[in-house]
Amino acid sequence: MLYNFDIKVVQTTTEYPVRMDPRITITAIVIVLTLGVAGIVFISLPPPSERPTLMVYTYDSFMVWGDNPDTIDSRAFGEFEERFNVNVSIQRLQTDAKGIITRLGVESANPVADVVVGIDNILILEPEVTDLLTPFEPPNLNVVNQSFIDALDPDHYVTPYDFGLVTLIYNKTSMSPTTYPQLLNLTFENLTDPTFAGALVTETPHLSSPGLAFLLTEITVYEKLLFENWTQWWIDVNEYIDVESGWSEAWEAWYYNPTKHILNSYGTDPAYSVYFYGGEPDTGIAAIYHDGEYYAWMQVEGMGLVKNGPNPELGKLFIEYCLNETVQSLIATNNWMFPVRSHVTLDPAFVHALHPTEVSLLNELLPRAEIAANINDWLDTFDEIRTP
Amino acid sequence: MDRRSIPRLLAIAAPILLLTVFLLYPVASVIVDGLLYGPGSSFAETLASSVTQRVLGFTFAQAALSTLLVIGIGLPGAFMMARLRMRGKSILRATLIVPFVLPPIVVVVGFLRVFGSFGLLDTLAMYILGTSESVLNLATGVVGIVLAHTFYNIPLVIVMVSSSLERLNPELEESAEALGATSFQKLRHIILPHISGALLAASILTFLFCFMSFPIVLALGEGRYMTLEVRIWYAFRSFDFGEASSLAAIQIATTLALAHSYVRLGRVEDVDPGRTAAIRRYGLDEIGIGYKVMVLVYLVVVGTLIFGPILAIIQAAIYDPFGGNYTLAGFANLIESGTGGGLVPLVNSLLYATLATLLAVLLGIPLAFAHRSRRSGIPTMASAMTLLPLGVSAITVAYGLMRMIAVPLGLTTNPWLLIVIAQTIIGLPFSARAIEISLRGIDPEIIEQADSLGASRLQRLFFVEFPLLAPGILAGGVFAFAMAIGEMSATLFIALEQNTTLAVVIYQYLGVRKFVEAGAAALVLVATCFAAFILIEKLSGEMSGGAL
Repeated sequence: MLYNFDIKVVQTTTEYPVRMDPRITITAIVIVLTLGVAGIVFISLPPPSERPTLMVYTYDSFMVWGDNPDTIDSRAFGEFEERFNVNVSIQRLQTDAKGIITRLGVESANPVADVVVGIDNILILEPEVTDLLTPFEPPNLNVVNQSFIDALDPDHYVTPYDFGLVTLIYNKTSMSPTTYPQLLNLTFENLTDPTFAGALVTETPHLSSPGLAFLLTEITVYEKLLFENWTQWWIDVNEYIDVESGWSEAWEAWYYNPTKHILNSYGTDPAYSVYFYGGEPDTGIAAIYHDGEYYAWMQVEGMGLVKNGPNPELGKLFIEYCLNETVQSLIATNNWMFPVRSHVTLDPAFVHALHPTEVSLLNELLPRAEIAANINDWLDTFDEIRTP
Repeated sequence: MDRRSIPRLLAIAAPILLLTVFLLYPVASVIVDGLLYGPGSSFAETLASSVTQRVLGFTFAQAALSTLLVIGIGLPGAFMMARLRMRGKSILRATLIVPFVLPPIVVVVGFLRVFGSFGLLDTLAMYILGTSESVLNLATGVVGIVLAHTFYNIPLVIVMVSSSLERLNPELEESAEALGATSFQKLRHIILPHISGALLAASILTFLFCFMSFPIVLALGEGRYMTLEVRIWYAFRSFDFGEASSLAAIQIATTLALAHSYVRLGRVEDVDPGRTAAIRRYGLDEIGIGYKVMVLVYLVVVGTLIFGPILAIIQAAIYDPFGGNYTLAGFANLIESGTGGGLVPLVNSLLYATLATLLAVLLGIPLAFAHRSRRSGIPTMASAMTLLPLGVSAITVAYGLMRMIAVPLGLTTNPWLLIVIAQTIIGLPFSARAIEISLRGIDPEIIEQADSLGASRLQRLFFVEFPLLAPGILAGGVFAFAMAIGEMSATLFIALEQNTTLAVVIYQYLGVRKFVEAGAAALVLVATCFAAFILIEKLSGEMSGGAL
């Protein structure tokens, strides 16, 4: 009975608007959405190309520190594109070389990249890294001094691209050698003084390759030159030292914070400052001093051929090409490292850089096998000291 | 089975199925794989390490401390927001939510500029004390981490609790007063029980976010203070997949337990709730001088904490610290196409976030309905699926998606679809919850009437339920959009150069000292989210906070 009554109510309200079948509306919405989305996606995709594309994975700041970073790729690699009729896609992944390796590892079942640039002489010691690469010896390797090949990788999984000296630098205006003569012959012992330790900024060895180089510098100096336990220095400076998450963060802390004067960085920094701002460099170099000699850690960055990459032949040609004059002569003022090719003319500003001839290389004191065997333990010990 | 119920079951099963494929399967398989086959430390070794134990302790301690601080500072704000009548409240509320959706890297920069040594506060203190030495550095170590977390999460408490307070039925207060209750008794017996659900939910959510914190701890922790998430990242990078998986398993177990209680709290039905904004309100002129001073002090403190970093971002967008001059170059960069320009990231950000929002809403609606399903097991499964994204770190999600889905399918050459999926997953808990809350508010009688008037299931859905759900869908959509456009960790992990978004490019600009460009990009993110929140307030007349 009640049911019938309800029906009657409906029928009496005849002005009630007639509703469309929602299925039509749904279909219309779905079609419009699909077309819209497809359209936007289509527009946003890179235009298809006739030429094959060579994919190069590298770190975020690769060659972007020059006068005109927007055109550097075409200046450096345009000639290669023309000669072999390919596109070179330089993928600056927003991470460092170690992060790139992680990505290559993820993609190893179906690799996307052909070449990876930026694996340094510490990272290459990880077996996970060599697993992802195919050894390759470019025919023009003789333009590279054998010492770089030995320092980086005698097995040729990676070919040297550039190198730099990791060292401490200081701000000349805020901490001058006249008041602090220790800067001219700086030792780790000096750095335990709270005045120096509190002024020092470095990078965490977990996330930054210069940070790791600094840790190895400290370990080498204590274990191989002073024959003391390396851990004590970190315990001494623990409460004073500023360890940032990356080089950019460390640089910023050093640049903006007036209490920070010393930075773990590269020996080319004074040249950078002169090249861009002229005059005398505002940064000085304080290479670690021991018994009449100066020491620094040499970082060699290499290029490797990705195992099972889509275009192995092009990848090989690319590695070979990167050792030529065009690319190598751009390294100094765009990546602020030294070219590995011999006899490349450097910008005059480089007279202010720390040159390998001026220091003894700590790498030569710490054999590759020893680093490979101990690096994880060293990092664990470092964490034990640092973690409160 | 009834034939007509098949489409309905399919609609409800679709999001659960999709989440199983794109979230549960990849995450579970990478973790199980790491636990079983490594390489690296075993679960037992990881637990036995003193560093792990200290990190675990710190993760819990800082999250608890941050949560307490957030409640302590946020609660008075929630009361003021609900009780006081003032102009521009909707704008204030929209501004309050902005920190919550900022990419962490932006928070870090704004935060350092205000609270760091030689930041705004320090400069002020130095000026007052007449010294050139830095006196105040609140942006490093434990203090910095806890304060940054507070800045990030205060909006949660203010917005969620004030939203619940506004529904306090004034009749209850009046009866209490008529019976001679003092203010304290009123607070103790009426107001606190009324807001306890919202307060607990906000606390759990805050704790969860602090527990999972990654970029803030990385940037402010001096390489010493680490959360589980930071440790996972370190282990992962050192190819110690055993340790990474062990830590991720601990993390997920903890967060899922918390997330589970969060959802259960959302289910507690309000007793006799008032209508929106029913609570008694007072104008500023109606309160005593003592209260006025308290309000003023509070506004100054919280204003500095919340608006300081936002103002610092606005300044960073137009002030070039190297040239020492004001410039619009940052904005010009945003319309510049080509290498290094900001146009591609801008378009990508909007495109991916819009697609992710659409998906999050499309999946959120059936998920919300699944919560109400009478079939046993479905509501539990739906809520577990909705919550999983809150409990799994973005990096684990990204890694799982890459390894288990993208690489086998060959999606990695242009992984834009993967970014959209990751952003959808991250926004889904918010869209699903907002829609579910608004679904709960539908009067069942209206549905019965529609049924008895002979509406088909689809008609009922489209002409009755959707219009009633519209505010919830809108609010959920906006939250999902904000989470998606601000997402950095997963996008960073997945993106190739053509896929970078604004959040990622900010990080990149900061790395190469393009501060103005980074500031301008951050400002665009802030403005977009701000506009979206204002939009919810205007369109729905509801407050966005109810959706959280």
